[in-house]
Amino acid sequence: MRRALYIHIPFCLRRCTYCDFNTYVGLLPLRAAYVEALEREAVLWAERSPELQVATLYFGGGTPSLLSPDSVARLVNVARVRFALPADAEVTLEANPGTVAEQQLRALRQAGVNRLSLGVQSSHREELALLGRIHSWAEAVSAVAAARRAGFANLSLDLIFGLPGQSLSRWMETMERVLELEPEHLSLYALKLEPDTPLARRVAAGELPAPDPDLAADMYARAGELLQDAGFWQYEISNWARGRAPAPEIWAVPPAGQSEQISAWVAQHNLIYWRNTSWLGWGAGAYSWFQGRRWSNPAHPRAYIAAVKSGELQRVAEECIPSALEMGETLMMGLRLAEGVTTHRFRARFGLELSTQYGDALSHFVKLGLLSWDAERLRLTRAGRLLGNQVFAAFLP
Amino acid sequence: MDPQHIRNFSIIAHIDHGKSTLADRLLGLTGTVAARDMEAHSQVLDAMELEQERGVTIKASAVQMHWQAPDGEEYELNLIDTPGHVDFGYEVSRALAACEGAVLVVDATQGIEAQTLANLYLALEHDLEIIPVVNKIDLPTAQPEEIKLELAALLGGSLDEVVLVSAKEGTNVEAVLRAIVARVPPPSVPTGTDTPLRALIFDSHYDSYKGVIAYVRLQEGEVDGQTPLLMMATGTKTLPVEVGVFAPEMKPVRVLSGGEVGYVATGLKSVREARVGDTITSARNPAVQPLVGYQPAKPMVFASFYPAEADDFADLRDALEKLQLNDAALTFEPESSEALQFGFRCGFLGLFHMVIAQERLEREYAQDLIITAPSVAYELLLVNGEVREIHRPSDLPEPTLTVEVREPWMEVQVITPNDYLGAVMEIFRRKRGELLLTETLDTKRVLLTFEVPLAEMVVDLHDKLKSATRGYASMDYTFDGYRADDLVKVDILITGTPVDALALIVHRDLAYERGSALIRKMKEAIPRQLFEVPIQAAVGGKIVARVNVKALRKDVLSKCYGGDVSRKRKLLEKQKAGKKRMKMLGNVVIPQEAFLAALRLD
Repeated sequence: MRRALYIHIPFCLRRCTYCDFNTYVGLLPLRAAYVEALEREAVLWAERSPELQVATLYFGGGTPSLLSPDSVARLVNVARVRFALPADAEVTLEANPGTVAEQQLRALRQAGVNRLSLGVQSSHREELALLGRIHSWAEAVSAVAAARRAGFANLSLDLIFGLPGQSLSRWMETMERVLELEPEHLSLYALKLEPDTPLARRVAAGELPAPDPDLAADMYARAGELLQDAGFWQYEISNWARGRAPAPEIWAVPPAGQSEQISAWVAQHNLIYWRNTSWLGWGAGAYSWFQGRRWSNPAHPRAYIAAVKSGELQRVAEECIPSALEMGETLMMGLRLAEGVTTHRFRARFGLELSTQYGDALSHFVKLGLLSWDAERLRLTRAGRLLGNQVFAAFLP
Repeated sequence: MDPQHIRNFSIIAHIDHGKSTLADRLLGLTGTVAARDMEAHSQVLDAMELEQERGVTIKASAVQMHWQAPDGEEYELNLIDTPGHVDFGYEVSRALAACEGAVLVVDATQGIEAQTLANLYLALEHDLEIIPVVNKIDLPTAQPEEIKLELAALLGGSLDEVVLVSAKEGTNVEAVLRAIVARVPPPSVPTGTDTPLRALIFDSHYDSYKGVIAYVRLQEGEVDGQTPLLMMATGTKTLPVEVGVFAPEMKPVRVLSGGEVGYVATGLKSVREARVGDTITSARNPAVQPLVGYQPAKPMVFASFYPAEADDFADLRDALEKLQLNDAALTFEPESSEALQFGFRCGFLGLFHMVIAQERLEREYAQDLIITAPSVAYELLLVNGEVREIHRPSDLPEPTLTVEVREPWMEVQVITPNDYLGAVMEIFRRKRGELLLTETLDTKRVLLTFEVPLAEMVVDLHDKLKSATRGYASMDYTFDGYRADDLVKVDILITGTPVDALALIVHRDLAYERGSALIRKMKEAIPRQLFEVPIQAAVGGKIVARVNVKALRKDVLSKCYGGDVSRKRKLLEKQKAGKKRMKMLGNVVIPQEAFLAALRLD
């Protein structure tokens, strides 16, 4: 089983206006104790499950680029030594373009990181300000150049669209500029106003126009066309990898079992999430999905550090996932992928046929044109991509 | 008790003029309720949670007090409380029929208001002795002398008869008791020992242990807990569980006699067997003639109550039946609608009555309700000469089948400061109202009398009036009669199918305006679906307005990784559960709010 390892770094220099993640400003002095706690958590895991192996490693946040390369190196090393992370495994680190210098990037590359995910978000000054980002577009451009010089062959860039007041042409300008940076991978996220974020409050107060979902749908469609022409393959609802899929349409289907070979730039770590296989989450508030259970660690870094120190890392919001729910979650995650949910994987995993389990819902959504279903796989249609929630809910028990 | 030492009276007032506070004071002063209980539980008569919250009395109740007057004699004072809201004018009337006197309370800072007049006229109709009381004289803005003059002028009495009090501070409250004893006549009870019992049921409530509790005023004779009784109108015989008085909680007594007020715990399981307005007599020695009863209240405002979840239909029926035990004016009958499935068409005395019923169902009976826009009872004259009453707009037949469509009109009295006269007139003009009379009340206020269709009143007249006059205007209304007019049915169609629950009857001149306003509201309330949903308004089968709910284009979380699975799943589960509570019309999902849209027409 390919299992993923996620390490959460909950520190930021400033909170973005749209962010509701488990992240904290002003806790940088905790960094050393936090890294130490992560290493202890690794030991706790290894003691409990000595045979455990992981296939990918991902440093997410927060702002993982606030860790020293040395700390990153220690953690990568723990994964290699204790959890058999292969030498050529994908090791991703999320970086804020405002926090990386070339020297640091070199050191990170040296530490074993081979994929960078840069939060670029926009190429426009006013949009970056609206989002509360600490970097400029120029800094993003130089971060990409620095990463290349530091030896990163696999760069992923994050962008946000559907901002309050953002026009279609403004968005497409960002897309064009970003393509000039020649990334291997792109994640395009439609802005979601999360409750209690400064951005949501400003919209609620009428200071900013509410994002228009129809305009966001247009932005999504136009960006998809542009990326297809630029030689990207959309392999997930919000993710594109450089490289051609075998079929010409945007929402292309690779042959069964071959999607890993289609594009070397597909995010291997995230693929494990979407296939709902299994993952370990280390760090404050990180979720694990392991042996039929899902839980998270204590959310606050101090609580997490204290818990690890006590030698007993209590599980927060632990759920035992019964089979029917696991099937539903597998569809909810799997249908996000271009490859969809393959009948053979479903059968092998649950010992059941998709058709007997979900026959009525399947034909309902096929009739509505949101799902396509053949002997090989079930997947969202082009029209269904932006209406996924309508479909996913039907498969939850 | 010797009838000469009994006084039966009510307190009548405009809302918030301090009726309940005065009642509390009287209870305290007579030692009926201990002072410390008063602290813990102010407004003793307003037992229902809703009454205490809204500060209004919804159901009449009756309390017995004992007081030693300055003449050294002990008197039995029966305070029969009356509802403070106009919808319950009928219950006021019932309560007043059990009294010989009424204390008319007027706020010293507000003066005479619309309901002051309405209640006073009701009391005068019952030949009651009126004791005028000016309350809240402790407030800095009080104008007791001016109000005193107003009252004396209104009643044609002398200034000395007006009692000035502050019920809140307890100032001069005893003068009210003295006035009651001195001026309210004792009940007149025929002498003779073997006079058969006649007791008027003026209210009732249901008790799960003692059955229907009939609130009675004994005209003559005696009732005890041992003698079998006969309900004269229904012919029901019963052996009562007990008789007693409200002190203020139920307190059994051995016997109630002529002139007294109290209760008979009938043991009966249904209010239909012991109806308000019926006369109780002895089964062994029955009276020949019943007392003059009441006309049952006729509901004129109708709305449909549906359970939010179709499975709860039986629960809702049980709850309505229980509510009816304590609310004789409520009517309901089962109905079905394509969109809302199975529910009840309920009849109410007015909009406030409807809101109270809704809140009681939700709170006391934990019902989750969908309520359609209120409508009124229409009277039809059909081409075959038949006159028929309909209680829902969708029952209005083709125009070719009716000669006349008649709707109830109300006479409305509004007291407003002169400054807002124009605003008030405009509100009534827009509601098809007609101004009958303008009277100057004092230098600052006028009394306006309008006639207005009830259908126009039920939506938001009261709210509009209050907001246009910053709360200064007051109003009261009575039923005036049915009038024929050019009334048409507006159908609302969703994807081409008329939705019964949304049909309206309006004046032809307003049909387009109301129809298009409603479909615009519906458009806001109906979520976008996977296909375009047209909403149309039709008058007499002809489409007059249309809006479209555009097809949904985007409903997916763009970010979903390992840490999001639980949260994301719960979000979808919530979405799914919300959808389950919505109603299906064909393949269109309609949330409950859409049915409320008509309530909030601007």
